[in-house]
Amino acid sequence: MLGKGGKRKFDEHEDGLEGKVVSPTDGPSKVSYTLQRQTIFNISLMKLYNHRPLTEPSLQKTVLINNMLRRIQEELKQEGSLRPMFVASSQPSDPLSDSFREAQPAFSHLSPPPLLPPELVSTVPLESCLTPASLLEDDTFCTSPAAAQHDGPAKPPPAALHAVKDSFSSALDEIEELCPAPTSAEAAAAEAAAGDSKAQPGQAELAKAEGLPEGRTAEPKLMDPLPGNFEITASTGFLTDLTLDDILFADIDTSMYDFDPCTSATGAASKMAPVSADELLKTLAPYSSQPVTPNQPFKMDLTELDHIMEVLVGS
Amino acid sequence: ADIISTVEFNHSGELLATGDKGGRVVIFQQEQENKTQSHTRGEYNVYSTFQSHEPEFDYLKSLEIEEKINKIRWLPQKNAAQFLLSTNDKTIKLWKISERDKRPEGYNLKEEDGRYRDPTTVTTLRVPVFRPMDLMVEASPRRIFANAHTYHINSISINSDYETYLSADDLRINLWHLEITDRSFNIVDIKPANMEELTEVITAAEFHPNSCSTFVYSSSKGTIRLCDMRASALCDRHSKLFEEPEDPSNRSFFSEIISSISDVKFSHSGRYMMTRDYLSVKIWDLNMENRPVETYQVHEYLRSKLCSLYENDCIFDKFECCWNGSDRQVEFSALYIVVMTGSYNNFFRMFDRNSKRDVTLEASRENNKPRTVLKPRKVCASGKRKKDEISVDSLDFNKKILHTAWHPKENIIAVATTNNLYIFQDKLN
Repeated sequence: MLGKGGKRKFDEHEDGLEGKVVSPTDGPSKVSYTLQRQTIFNISLMKLYNHRPLTEPSLQKTVLINNMLRRIQEELKQEGSLRPMFVASSQPSDPLSDSFREAQPAFSHLSPPPLLPPELVSTVPLESCLTPASLLEDDTFCTSPAAAQHDGPAKPPPAALHAVKDSFSSALDEIEELCPAPTSAEAAAAEAAAGDSKAQPGQAELAKAEGLPEGRTAEPKLMDPLPGNFEITASTGFLTDLTLDDILFADIDTSMYDFDPCTSATGAASKMAPVSADELLKTLAPYSSQPVTPNQPFKMDLTELDHIMEVLVGS
Repeated sequence: ADIISTVEFNHSGELLATGDKGGRVVIFQQEQENKTQSHTRGEYNVYSTFQSHEPEFDYLKSLEIEEKINKIRWLPQKNAAQFLLSTNDKTIKLWKISERDKRPEGYNLKEEDGRYRDPTTVTTLRVPVFRPMDLMVEASPRRIFANAHTYHINSISINSDYETYLSADDLRINLWHLEITDRSFNIVDIKPANMEELTEVITAAEFHPNSCSTFVYSSSKGTIRLCDMRASALCDRHSKLFEEPEDPSNRSFFSEIISSISDVKFSHSGRYMMTRDYLSVKIWDLNMENRPVETYQVHEYLRSKLCSLYENDCIFDKFECCWNGSDRQVEFSALYIVVMTGSYNNFFRMFDRNSKRDVTLEASRENNKPRTVLKPRKVCASGKRKKDEISVDSLDFNKKILHTAWHPKENIIAVATTNNLYIFQDKLN
C-alpha cells in the first residue's frame, strides 16, 4: 500500500512479472490497457457518485474526473465504431474510415501499420508505465497502446481479446441501462464532436489499428451472439446527462459501484437483475481470483480469460 | 493542533502568519537579533492568535461553508499596525493587528477598575496619563468582503498600487478596492453558458509585482494566461498564453490531471514566473510563451504510481511553491533562481539554478535534532535501494508538505507539515 512501512521484495516480484509481460504476443499489454482503462473508469465513477460530503465538493476535482470519464467514453465510442466497418464493407459513418481502409492492406501482411503517427510509437520503458490500481506497486503495465505496439506487431490472441472486449461492451450496455435516463443526448454528442485532447485521434487510430486483427477474425463470432452491439455508445453515451447538478445532487443508486476493485465482492445490487450485475462486477474486477462464471447472453471464452488473468497476476 | 492550510511571511519578514483548517490565524514574530549571540538569527515566537473565519451554512444549497483559511496575504506596513487579508472559500476579511503597550490612568469619573465614581465626590480634576502595561496584541476585523463568489476562492493577490486586490474562484476573478466592501468588479469569467460544457477551471491568480494592470491566472489544463486590465473591462481575452506542448512519450490517462497548475508565483523582479503542477516546477520567462525556461522534476518517481495516486486522491493535492528572498540586483543581472516546493513523506525540495543543484530535505522531529544541519534525503525509484535511501513504496503519502514560505530577505524558510510548522535557517558561520 502507499502507507508507511510495507516492505516488499521489490526486485524479485518485478522481475517475475516483467519477464512475462515482455512477451512477443503483445496480448497482455493490450488487455491490460483495456483493463486499466476500465479500472480508471470505475474509479472515476465511484469518485463522482459516492462522494457525499457535508461541504460542496471541489469543482476542480469534479471537472477533472468528468474530463477523464468523457475521454474514456470517447475512446470507447471510437473503438466501438470499428466493428461496423468489417461487417458491412459499405461506407461507415466514422470519419476515421479513410485511414482505416489504408490500414487494411498493411495489416494483411501482419506488419506494423505505417499509418501510425511516429510520435505514438514511443520508447516508453516499462518501468514508467501506469500502475493498475489493484496492482498498486506493479509498474509493468503500459499506459498507451503505443508502447505495446512498440513491442512488435504481433497479433493478440484474437478470441481472448474479442471475448474481453465483448464483456466490456456488454458491461457498458448494462451500465447504460442502469444509469438514469439520459436527458440531453445533444450535449454529449456536442462534447464528443468537440473532442478533448490532442492525442485523441492518435489514440483512436492506434486503438482501431489494434482492433483490426481481432476484428477480422472475430467478425463471424461477433455476428452471431451480438447483432445489436456493434456500436457501443452509439448515439447515447452513459454520460449524456452527466451534468454537475446530477453529480452533486442526483439520488442515484450507487450500490453497483460500491466495490473495491481489489476484491470481487459485490455490493448489494438491489435494483438490478441480480445475476447479471454480479457477473458484471466479476468481469470488471480486474484481478478476480475466482473463476468467472457468466450468465451473460454472449459466450465468453473462459479459459482464455483465465489465462490472461494468470499472466497478469503472475500466479 | 489543527491542519495548517497556508503560510506567509510579511514584507519585512519579521512576522510569519499561518492559517489553519479551523479558521484560526496564528502570527509568529521574529525576536530582535541578539547582539551577543550573533551566530543565530532571531527565533520566531507566537505573537498573536485569533479566529478569522467561522463555519457557516448555506441554506440555499444545504451545504456547509468551511472556515478553513485558504490564503493569507500581508499588506505592506504603512503605520504602527499590521494589516493582512485572510480568506476562506467565500469571504475575504481585512484584519488589523495592533499592539497596545500603554494605557491611560487617572480618569476623573471612573475608578481604576472601571466603576463609575459618584460625581458628588469629585472635588479636583486631573489629566489622565499613559502608563506602560504588558504588551497586548489585538486583532480586529476592519473590512469584510463577502457575497462576491459563487465558487470556492482559491487565491487572493494584492496589487502593487496597494489599493486594490483580486480574488479568484474556480470560474471568476474579481477586483476589489480595499476600502470598499459592497462592490467588486468582475474581471475574468470563464463560466460557460451551459455548465455541462465546463472542462477547465481557474486554479490560481496573482498580480504582477510591479505592473498594476497586469495579472496572471492558471488553469486546470496547465495553461497560464496573462491579462492586462487596460485592454478591456472584462479580461476574458488574454494578452499572453503560456503553455508547453505535451511530451507525447509521457502521455497517459492522467496527463491532464497532472498538468493542472496548483500554484503560480511571480519572481520578485516580475520578469519570471513559476508554476507548480503535480510532478514538476516550471520557470517561465514572461517574454516566451511557448515553453518554460526551466523545468525541475519534484518527484518523477511518482509517474508510475499515478493510478494509485488517482485512486486515493493524492493526485489532486495542491502543492505550492516559492521563490527565495529577493536580492534584486543579483536577479536582474543573471537568471538567478532558487525555488522551493513540497512533496510527500514530509520531504521538501529546493532547486538552485546557479549551481545546478537540487536537494531533498525532510521536516520531521524524529529524524532531525534541533539545531543540526538537515541531512539530504534520496528516494530510490526502482532497483536496488542503497543505504539511507527510501524506496517509493515506503513513502508516507499522508505526510505531505503543501505550504512553504521563504523569508523575503534572509535565508529563513517556513515549512508546514500537516500539523506542525518548521522554521529552518541556513547555517551562519
